[in-house]
Amino acid sequence: MGSGPAYAGPEPLFQEGRLMAGRYVLQVKGLSKAFPGVQALDQVNMSVGFGEVHCLVGENGSGKSTLIRSVSGSQGFDSGSIVLNGNEYTHLSARQAMNEGVQVIYQDLSLFPHLTVAENIAFNWMVRDDVRLIRPKEIAARAKDALIQLRENLDLTGPVKNLSMAQKQIVAISRALVLDAKIIFMDEPTTALTRYEIDSLFRIIHELREKGIATVFVSHKLDEVFRESDNITVIRDGKKIGDFTTDSLDEETLAYHMTGRTILYTPYEYTADANRQTPVLEVRNLTREPHFRDLNLSVCAGEIVGITGPLGAGRTEFALSLFGLNPPDSGEILVDGIPRTIPTPVAAINAGIALVPEDRHVQGLHQKNAIRENLVAGVLDEVTKWGLLDSDAAESVANSWFEQLSVKAVSPEVSVGTLSGGNQQRVVIGKWLATRPRLLILDGPTVGIDVASKSTIHEIVHELARQGMAIIIISDEIPEVYKNSNRIIVMYDGVFIHETNREDIDQEGLRTIVEQGVPA
Amino acid sequence: MSRLRNSRLGTFVGRQESVLLLILLAYGLLVGTVNPTFYKLDNLFQIIRASAGTMILAMGALVVLASGGIDVSFTAVAIFGGYATVRIMMASGIDNILFAFALSGIFGMVLGATNALVIHRFRLQTLIATLGTQSIFVGVMTLIFGTKFVPVGDMPDSIVWFGTEPMLTLTMPGGAARLTWFVVPMILMIVLTWFLLNRTLIGRTVYAMGSSREATERAGAALWKTQAFIYMYVGMLAGFMGIVYTAHVRSLNPISLVGDELFVIAAVVLGGAKLTGGVGTVSGTVLGVLIITTLQTTLILIGLSSSWMRFFVGGILLISVSIMAIRTNRENLRNLIFHSE
Repeated sequence: MGSGPAYAGPEPLFQEGRLMAGRYVLQVKGLSKAFPGVQALDQVNMSVGFGEVHCLVGENGSGKSTLIRSVSGSQGFDSGSIVLNGNEYTHLSARQAMNEGVQVIYQDLSLFPHLTVAENIAFNWMVRDDVRLIRPKEIAARAKDALIQLRENLDLTGPVKNLSMAQKQIVAISRALVLDAKIIFMDEPTTALTRYEIDSLFRIIHELREKGIATVFVSHKLDEVFRESDNITVIRDGKKIGDFTTDSLDEETLAYHMTGRTILYTPYEYTADANRQTPVLEVRNLTREPHFRDLNLSVCAGEIVGITGPLGAGRTEFALSLFGLNPPDSGEILVDGIPRTIPTPVAAINAGIALVPEDRHVQGLHQKNAIRENLVAGVLDEVTKWGLLDSDAAESVANSWFEQLSVKAVSPEVSVGTLSGGNQQRVVIGKWLATRPRLLILDGPTVGIDVASKSTIHEIVHELARQGMAIIIISDEIPEVYKNSNRIIVMYDGVFIHETNREDIDQEGLRTIVEQGVPA
Repeated sequence: MSRLRNSRLGTFVGRQESVLLLILLAYGLLVGTVNPTFYKLDNLFQIIRASAGTMILAMGALVVLASGGIDVSFTAVAIFGGYATVRIMMASGIDNILFAFALSGIFGMVLGATNALVIHRFRLQTLIATLGTQSIFVGVMTLIFGTKFVPVGDMPDSIVWFGTEPMLTLTMPGGAARLTWFVVPMILMIVLTWFLLNRTLIGRTVYAMGSSREATERAGAALWKTQAFIYMYVGMLAGFMGIVYTAHVRSLNPISLVGDELFVIAAVVLGGAKLTGGVGTVSGTVLGVLIITTLQTTLILIGLSSSWMRFFVGGILLISVSIMAIRTNRENLRNLIFHSE
């Protein structure tokens, strides 16, 4: 534990000549918070300097959210203190935190889709300052001012629901600026952004840094944001494991710090059957404008094919086409050598294709229903008799997947919404396995899932392939694709630009192709 | 939001309001062609008179829908306010139209506060809560004030005057045009609702809440205050409507009005509001109400019995809402969004 190099503290960017007491915008001192049965935070210390870019890392349930809620005043703490701009608080209200410049941008961004951009930017300010009468010009001026500070330009009068994810993020950051933020927490800000958008987020963060505004990223993956940050704080089980400078960590050490154990990545090995079988899936010249064009692909039983590339390359759109949700304009899809048209998901299921979608919360699961109900949702015709649910049959199907995938829950009757991300994903996979697919497509199989659960999901996938299922993994995490596929395809701008067996490339070579968008 | 109206043609065509305006004009043209006597100022004034009550209720319903809720108790509140006020005026001898509005409005606010309390305290779905309070309000009213029918002869003079005496009489060729006093509370309430919804923090909070409750809470807005405002405001409008309604029919049956709330909600939805909240404009609502009441009052002019009214209202509602829904769905599919917001 704490095996990183000695932490000298961030270099102060703004010290003199400003009305800022000390070098730190935020100091957390010995913060503890207990919930019934859990010590959510245990003597946590953390410091963030003015203008610093900081990463807060930990597994699900490690205490990250509790820490943020405490610092933003939306939840009390038992002992310890929080120092903001030199003012020490042993109790911190949401109002006090806001007045000290603490802003949190949650993953859902907390925007109002039907209100205009200007109103979204100004609304929280109006609430804070109790601006009861609205002067549209003043609101527009404030919003404009915040956007200018970020060097961004958006139509102030359009509704936010029409914006892209990146633009929505700009709105959320502008809103924090209008509230005079000094430290902005961002929860997994890059998850839904394209490569280009991530670059522009970095530029914005650079602008914030110039103004002395600190940014704290909350994340559990070692992605681009990591490399942009100055320091990393790792917490596990409510305790701080250590502060590290970014360049002192690689992914494996970080995973070790987060989980407390060494996670072994066993790459997937595939041995081609000597008597070349017909591929389970063959795709010929598949085109769907403007998403993708001229895609050719074959996947044999027992193969795991990884498709990677930047967000917006058309990966998800391709998966949706195979699953009947985005009918292609031209080209052929062959399953077991037989040409198929797949106009609907039902046709896909009948052809033996299953898709574990990217957005498991909305598209993958019925959050309020029991695990059992979710597991049989794809095979209702098998567990019903004369239109009535045969609960014995449903139970036996559900129980068998519940056990095979070792879903961690008291019983299959627990509602899915209460499970952790990793366990929810097991349920989604189980639901699709129940349809006995020949081809399983996993789109972003471990998005938002912590390191330890990730590797068990990967193990499940390897085992399925060994049993003879054909599998496609789509992911923008290069290590995930690299370690779990025997064949890798890089997609860029709707085209497969590179295809290779894993043996013929190393991870860095793959990264170079993905980042440059051209084959090596 | 009307202040952000964009004058480009593209956005004009895309707006629900413009579709409604076209429907209204086309229908007016049709009626006028079949029956040229339709083009009289007095007919326009008649439509205004007939729509005043619905308009006032619709303003309230708009506020509730924009917040993501639904209220089906406002007709009960209106009849409660109207009936209770008339009985109190008859008993006390106070015969003043302003007093009537004030008293009925206060009744409405109290009942609205009850709604807000029930909804907020027990975190109930607004539809369920107001279905319950609708029955309770009617029950309490009949328990306290009885169920006696109030005939024209017993009606306080000020209310009869308000319902019959024109505010303005214009002598026109082919008969005089009389503008009802109803136009005063109607316009006032339209303007007030527009102002509250578009120019005040509480009004924007209503839309914010309808857009995302959680984000509104995170912004630091007090949801219970907003709820209290919404349901008390709706109650007050319903109270006012109770007096307009009483003056309109000039006799009062305490079991009337309840059951018409879905017509009002239909008018607001026709005007572009969504049951899921966050959307809806005052101008759209005005047009929605005008379309429905124009149908109500003019079918007879084109030789159709008023039984056709419900048929047409339902048809127009379905068609216009379907067009909007299809448009949204197409756009979502193009963007590969498979769930609606």
